[in-house]
Amino acid sequence: MPNDKKSQKIVDIIQNAARKHSLFVLAYGTGCGAIEIPPTMTSRYDAERFGIRGMATPRQADVLLVTGYLATKTLKRVIRAYEQMQDPKYVIGFGSCTINGGMYWDSYNTIKLLDKYIPVDVYINGCMPRPEAVITGFVELQGLIKEGKANGAEKYKENIDWYRANQKKVIKNWNMPDYNW
Amino acid sequence: MTENKHIKEQQVVDHLVSTFQHLSGKVKRERRAEVSVDKKLIPSVLSYVKDQLSFTHMSHMSCVDWIEDEHFELVYILWSPKMEIQLLIKTFINRENPVMENVDMIWGQLNTYQREIREMYGIQFTGMIGREEFVLEDWDDMPPMRRDFDTADFIKNVFFERPGREDAKDVRNEIAERSGEEIPELAKKYSRD
Repeated sequence: MPNDKKSQKIVDIIQNAARKHSLFVLAYGTGCGAIEIPPTMTSRYDAERFGIRGMATPRQADVLLVTGYLATKTLKRVIRAYEQMQDPKYVIGFGSCTINGGMYWDSYNTIKLLDKYIPVDVYINGCMPRPEAVITGFVELQGLIKEGKANGAEKYKENIDWYRANQKKVIKNWNMPDYNW
Repeated sequence: MTENKHIKEQQVVDHLVSTFQHLSGKVKRERRAEVSVDKKLIPSVLSYVKDQLSFTHMSHMSCVDWIEDEHFELVYILWSPKMEIQLLIKTFINRENPVMENVDMIWGQLNTYQREIREMYGIQFTGMIGREEFVLEDWDDMPPMRRDFDTADFIKNVFFERPGREDAKDVRNEIAERSGEEIPELAKKYSRD
C-alpha cells in the first residue's frame, strides 16, 4: 500500500515515520557476515544515529539480519526466530550467500535462495558487504518502511502454505511449534 | 643422499618395519614419515607408537575415498613433540562393508573424528559410544563425502537456484565488451571456453 494521504490514514504515515527510526536488530549472526556488525554498531560507523541497535530476543526485535550462508540446520533456527518476532518485522538478506548461494552454491547442505523460505525486504550484496553497504541497506529499508512497502510479514502470512511447503522440503523433521499471530 | 639427510625419520620407519609384520613405510620428507599397515594392526601400532616412540599427540584422523580401487583409506596423523616428526599411519578398508575398529580409548579426541567419518563416509566403528548424528541434521541420504554422492543432482532436487546461474557460462567477454574494457593477457588463460 503506497503511503500517501489518499490510500493511507495520516496516523499510518506518522507510525511508519516513527518505526523507521527505531529498528531493533536481533542479535543473531549466521555465517561469516556477523563479523561486520560490530564495526557497524560501534563508534566508527555508529549505526545508532539511524536508530539501529541490537536487541537480545526475537520478541523484542524488528529486524532479522541474516548474515551469510544458511545451512539447513541453521535455517530451521532462523525460521523459528523469525516466527517468534512480533509485528512489525523485517528481514535483511546480507551477503551473496543469501542471494544465490555465493561460494556455497554447490554445497549439499546450504540453501541458495533465502526468499523462498522467509520473505526478504532488502538484500545487501557483497562478500562481505562493508559497514557502509550495511548502513546503505538499512537506509533503503527505512525508505521502504516510510513508503509502506516493507510488507514482507504480510506476504508471509498470506502465502504461509507456499513458504511452509518450501521449508518442509529441506527441513525433514519438522518439530516446531505453530505460532498464532 | 636423501636417506642420509633424514636419519631420525628413517630410524622411526625402520623401527616400525622391524617390529610389525605386514608394515611398509617410507620417509616422505624432512620431519614426515608414513607407514601403511593392515587394518587389524591399527590398535597395536597406534598404542605402540604412543607409548614407545613418543608420538603422544594425535593431530588428525581423516579418510580418503578411493572409489576406483574400491576401498577407503583411513589416515591417522600423529606428531611427536620430542622427535619433531609427523607420522602418517594409513590403512585400507573395504568399501562395500566399511567397518573399522574403534580406537578412541587410545586418544579421546578420536571419538569426534570417528563420529565425523561415520557421518560423512558411512564407516562404522565397532563398539564406539556416541550419538549417531554429528553435524548434519536429519540426513537420510547417502553419506555426502562419498565420491559416488552426486552433489549437483542432489542440489537440483532439493534446493532452488537463482535463474541465470545454471549454465555456468563464461561471461567475462560480454562484460568486457559492455564496459569497453579489455581482458588482460595474464587472465586469459583462466577462460573456461
